[in-house]
Amino acid sequence: MGTLRIPLTLSRSILPITTSSPSSFLLQKHDRRISPAMATAKPLSTDALKQGIAEFYDESSGLWENIWGDHMHHGYYDAGSTVSVEDHRIAQIRMIEQALRFASVSEEPNSWPKTIVDVGCGIGGSSRYLTKKYSAKCQGITLSPVQAERAQSISKENGLSERVSFQVGDALDQPFSDGQFDLVWSMESGEHMPDKLKFMSELARVAAPGATIILVTWCHRDLLPSEESLQPYESNLLKKICNAFYLPEWCSAADYIKIAQSLGLEDIKSADWSSNVAPFWPAVIRSAFTFWGFTSLIRSGWKTVKGAFAMPSMIEGYNKNLIKFAIITCRKPK
Amino acid sequence: MRLLTHNMLSCNIKGVTNGYPLTIEASKWMAKEVDFNGDFLRNIFVKIEWKVLIEAAKVMGYTDLPVEVDSSMLNSDEFLQKFHHALLEIHVEEGALICPETGRKFPVHKGIPNMLLNEDEV
Repeated sequence: MGTLRIPLTLSRSILPITTSSPSSFLLQKHDRRISPAMATAKPLSTDALKQGIAEFYDESSGLWENIWGDHMHHGYYDAGSTVSVEDHRIAQIRMIEQALRFASVSEEPNSWPKTIVDVGCGIGGSSRYLTKKYSAKCQGITLSPVQAERAQSISKENGLSERVSFQVGDALDQPFSDGQFDLVWSMESGEHMPDKLKFMSELARVAAPGATIILVTWCHRDLLPSEESLQPYESNLLKKICNAFYLPEWCSAADYIKIAQSLGLEDIKSADWSSNVAPFWPAVIRSAFTFWGFTSLIRSGWKTVKGAFAMPSMIEGYNKNLIKFAIITCRKPK
Repeated sequence: MRLLTHNMLSCNIKGVTNGYPLTIEASKWMAKEVDFNGDFLRNIFVKIEWKVLIEAAKVMGYTDLPVEVDSSMLNSDEFLQKFHHALLEIHVEEGALICPETGRKFPVHKGIPNMLLNEDEV
């Protein structure tokens, strides 16, 4: 994977603002405040984590939507490409299509999924796309009441509100009876789940016999057979990111595969798409440091700003082959 | 929250074996016109718990659904219109969903059910 050339320190030269403006002063102040806090971050309790996640998305959803549209996930790019915000929307759609193709979801209308669950649905980008594509019914769950409400109104604006609905709910305790859904979809929400086994068990539980489960998520690299854990510098880097994005401890794609096997799921497949999402972060940073992006960021609140400052750490993680963007798909036995 | 959504929701409090269907308690509800889509209705029919839909519709004041159904009725426009109305046009804006076993109320606010469990229910 190519090295991403982006300044890892937030230099004033990126900002089209003069040194004397209030905004750049604010930038320096925040810069000094963040590093010590993030370096000594303690892991959050599950309750605090869930609340943090809900509040983080309550606060930052609006900004994300303004810049990136209603899909709150990475775009899929050709490895090594340089991209701009304008490309991102198409790439986000491409990500969904690539995931469906990887999972071998049938292209035959008679075999299309009729019911879909979007676990960690954000403001419903995937839900709406999948509902339209398959003429299906979709239910989305999110911890954030703000997101659920926003998801609902966007769906209404798009004339889809009868087929796609959103609930405030917990992916670790999904409010559905067993075997409801033909397609179980988790696009970049797995990283928020504090108990990966419970998370996957719920995905498997609500999947109908023969259903497809698609999980696209950030992981850390697989450990070598000789390793018990990550190197200390790797754990420290992940801790910084966890604190900013309200993430619990990371696991690897190999861990997810092991869990899927232990749950008796079949046809388990996995791939490393890190090089296909790498162009995303520099584009996000570039957009954050346009004048408009920056002032919107500051207006969004502390949690969002903290998240923004963790972005260089994400790039560092990708560059050091520590952070992986993985897809894991499988099938519930018939 | 439409009855289509209600048909799929259940209570997952630890230890509860009879968490479906949830009883609807609506303090604010309305009928909202929705574009008719026969293909969607025919597709979703097999996934619907019919008894649950009838009961929910009755609670919301709609009693026109036939008690016995089979897939041949999907050819009848009259049936599809009733199915469409019950499933998609009755909208609970404010209220609660009640667990049949524990009585626990899950609030419905601005049409969105909040199914999050408390610490002691997990």
